Amino acid sequence: MKVSAVRQALLLIALAFVPAIGEAIYFRDRVSWQSPDRSSEMVNLDQAQSWGANAIWVDARPDNEFEQGHVPGAIPLNEDRWNELLPTLLAQWSLEKKIVVYCSSQSCNASREVARRLRDEAGLKEVFVLRGGWEEWLKNRR
Amino acid sequence: MNTNFSRFIGVLTLVALAQSARAELKWEQTSVDLRPAFNDKQAIAHFKYENVGNTPVHFKSVHASCGCTTAQTQNEQVAPGQKGEITATFNIGGRTGTQVKTVTVQTDDPDSARSTTVLTLKAVITPLLEIQPALVYWQNGEEPKPKIITAKANKDAAIKKLNVASSTPDFTAKVEPGSAPNEFRISVQPHDTTKAVYATLTIKPDSPANPGNTFAVAARVMPPAPTSGTAITPSTKASVSTARHDLATPAPPPAESPSQ
Repeated sequence: MKVSAVRQALLLIALAFVPAIGEAIYFRDRVSWQSPDRSSEMVNLDQAQSWGANAIWVDARPDNEFEQGHVPGAIPLNEDRWNELLPTLLAQWSLEKKIVVYCSSQSCNASREVARRLRDEAGLKEVFVLRGGWEEWLKNRR
Repeated sequence: MNTNFSRFIGVLTLVALAQSARAELKWEQTSVDLRPAFNDKQAIAHFKYENVGNTPVHFKSVHASCGCTTAQTQNEQVAPGQKGEITATFNIGGRTGTQVKTVTVQTDDPDSARSTTVLTLKAVITPLLEIQPALVYWQNGEEPKPKIITAKANKDAAIKKLNVASSTPDFTAKVEPGSAPNEFRISVQPHDTTKAVYATLTIKPDSPANPGNTFAVAARVMPPAPTSGTAITPSTKASVSTARHDLATPAPPPAESPSQ
């Protein structure tokens, strides 16, 4: 009786593995098992400011928001005019510099997208997204 | 007894009236998938609705998830039985890949479950050219071997040739056919890697369907890295600062501004 129950349990476990393995293979390249906000890619304002001249600040917000106010020295790079704006950043980048990308707030997605493209398309390393974005900068300034 | 019965009837009547006087916006679809052509500037989604209730519905707000998307209603108020649509216009700009934008619609429907609707626009954007990487660079003093930039052309664009021009004479760029159809290899080589230089390479696809479309990538020779433990003499200090000055004033992008 006991042997039969164990056998049935093992059989059920084996059967459960079949769709699990299939799903793991099928979705391996399709689902990101990591959070989109990987902590290693995010940076706090204090830390970003401590980098001083070794940081390049990149403003991922639309042009009109950039014109209303931005981090001093920040380079505008939004996806509306990606091809036009990217060369300006690449001209100022150097190996020892870290890039800090921000958009309007914690909830906006533009900075994450710009940071991803800088890594994937331009091959830049040390690209970070500012936690809290422009809102955090303003709060800290007051 | 009679009083209680009258009250019961009254409550029943009120409930029946409240249920019959309802406003309900029924959406034909709340999600639209779009595949804009490579030369489209915008992707437009139409979200159709109908007021299937028997009282008017008012739009309180229509809010897009990003500045790149605008949403417009045809009317502020939708009469019972009236049909209409909300048009969401997504400005593609320099975006590529799968883009998901939402439009949040709020109405005065007293039922909170129905008063907020999220409309989703999903657009898969295949650019005219997919360029990888957007930057090639050489360390100062590195052997000036050519580095390759790959450009994959959209198969619908019928691009036969790419023209590549460097903004400075410090780099040479040659275009060769790639390993796959519609693919090009741009071989970039600096003439000298002892001096920090920067150039914008303007890529112009030769296609009658896309006149004026250009793309820009960058080529650089990096300044010499300051070595730790080496005393900075006035002469080395001068060379470092000169190199940085070169980079701080890069050649301006070509007058013909790239657009997609």
